[in-house]
Amino acid sequence: MAFRGRKTSRHGGERNNSWAYLFLAPALGLYLLFSVWPIFRGAAMAFTDYRFIYPDTRWDFNGLANYREMWNDPDFWNAVRVTIRFTFYVLPFTVIISFILAVVISRVRRLAGLYRWMIYLPVILPVAVTYLMFGELFNTKFGLINTVLRDFGMRRPPNWLNDVDYALRAISIADIWRGVGFPTLLFLIGLYSIGNDLYEAAAVDGASGWQQLRSITLPLLKPVFALVLLLSLSSIPMTVDPMLILTGGGPRDTTMSLGLYSYKTAFQLGDLRLGYASAMNLVLGLSSAIIALLVFRSLRGDLESSGPKRRPWRRAAAASADQ
Amino acid sequence: MASTSLVLPQVTPRKKSIWQRFWRSDWYLHVIMILALLVTFIPIIWMISTSFKDRVGFAEAPASLIPANPTLVNYRYMLTAVENLPVYMRNSFILAIGTAVVQVFVASLAGYAFARMQFRGKNLILGMLIISIFIPRSGGLMALYELMSFLHLRNSLFGLILLFAAHVPVPIFIMRQAFLSIPKEIEEAAILDGASWFRVYRQIALPLALGGMVIVATLAFITAWSDYLVTFTMIDLDSQMTISVGIQKVLASSYQSALTVQFRGALTGETADAAMLLTATLPVVIFYALLQRWFMRGLTEGAVKL
Repeated sequence: MAFRGRKTSRHGGERNNSWAYLFLAPALGLYLLFSVWPIFRGAAMAFTDYRFIYPDTRWDFNGLANYREMWNDPDFWNAVRVTIRFTFYVLPFTVIISFILAVVISRVRRLAGLYRWMIYLPVILPVAVTYLMFGELFNTKFGLINTVLRDFGMRRPPNWLNDVDYALRAISIADIWRGVGFPTLLFLIGLYSIGNDLYEAAAVDGASGWQQLRSITLPLLKPVFALVLLLSLSSIPMTVDPMLILTGGGPRDTTMSLGLYSYKTAFQLGDLRLGYASAMNLVLGLSSAIIALLVFRSLRGDLESSGPKRRPWRRAAAASADQ
Repeated sequence: MASTSLVLPQVTPRKKSIWQRFWRSDWYLHVIMILALLVTFIPIIWMISTSFKDRVGFAEAPASLIPANPTLVNYRYMLTAVENLPVYMRNSFILAIGTAVVQVFVASLAGYAFARMQFRGKNLILGMLIISIFIPRSGGLMALYELMSFLHLRNSLFGLILLFAAHVPVPIFIMRQAFLSIPKEIEEAAILDGASWFRVYRQIALPLALGGMVIVATLAFITAWSDYLVTFTMIDLDSQMTISVGIQKVLASSYQSALTVQFRGALTGETADAAMLLTATLPVVIFYALLQRWFMRGLTEGAVKL
């Protein structure tokens, strides 16, 4: 560098600009240390019997022993069932509600900005505040829900969070309440990128609103559906917070999701078995990733032949800002 | 326009009656929205209302959304009797502001490099950052716990700031976009005049990219303030705890004894809890209001696209 003229050495056209690496260093350094390293270390940890209170076990590789143990662990299978039920409670409602909201918001002539802002509000509230608030809403005696139910004549409204039949549903309601805003935003970005021309042409041809929805909106939005399903399928089964805050897995382990079971195994129970917990997380992560990719590909595959040129999913992907 | 697309086009040119105009407007969309917003906001309104009730008011009408005799007793209790609350709030501000500052700093530097400089591996690094947005993160918590213990950064707000600031991909894209939208002639002229890249970045580009910085800072503030699981895992000392995790400890409803003698007859656990939950929320809502403009316009104008 020293031998080159100042003007050329600092000009943007140069291929090997050491300034650029200097500018990137802080961000990439943090990123490699705190985001990339844990992915690899976590994968390695999943094949060890690392117990946090015995630091020597840090690199005790034990082959597939974790997975054999999982296979014979009734708590693990219970957690799998809870996780599947939770996903079936939460995922369809979240996707359908957020799609309807997005269509409505994209069609109103006024107040759309305000609606967007308000619908997204639950997403930014502190996680603990949201769930503790739902804890009070579901309170058996003085909670809003049961007070209203009693006012409507129900004698013994359910004991939501302490009832084996209702606890997971109550948690699902809280999670849907919190989770709808983000997919709504993704759908909206997709809807806005479709633009008005197609709808105007269809209206001239006499297509009704319902026909337009079926033959314009849904097909063009397929990629966004794929993205929303991909993101939901990789986040909902991992849910830990509402169970941890509201029930701690009870009553009788009916809300002990796989995410919570591995969290407790790692940080709250016995020897703090980080190895076994990582192994469970690996299984959970890989299986939900595989399902998500299958869904993503089948939806995307349909589309290649007649796909839109503008690819709304790309913009939506870029906006997956703070998930 | 958008609404004409929902009804058949009117062929007859005669003047529309009020009834027709009513049907042609988009009122039913607003009705759907208002229903959705009611479901969204009734829990919050109920909390606000509860926080202004005293013991009697809450016992008589726990479900009412407007308190009959509004009182500030819960807030007085919160400010005088809950010892840890100020510490938690202060820690939350340190964490959220620290995260915002660090993240704006590192993301604007990197975003500037991606927007203006040519270097080997640029597209590769950019592509990896995009892909990594989609890798679920929660699996890394165990490894993160080991790492933070190893670095002696557990129970340290400083460590947590670094941890949150390390979520760089999205902020880098926002900053890159902000720099790309500035005309680059001024910067090129400055570079030809011999200014260093850093001076150009700091004195010319950065002031013009203020909008991007505000978005990055706000998102960082909200993320750090609202997080539960990571903070809960990394911090167990009271002196370093944030309100978003500590709120569980200071709530009064689970243990009535938390109410001091002075307040025991005046309020109940539920009403005191409501006041504290709202207080823990207020700062993020204020910062979220700053994002209003981005939600209003940015979304439709493509400020979020790559």
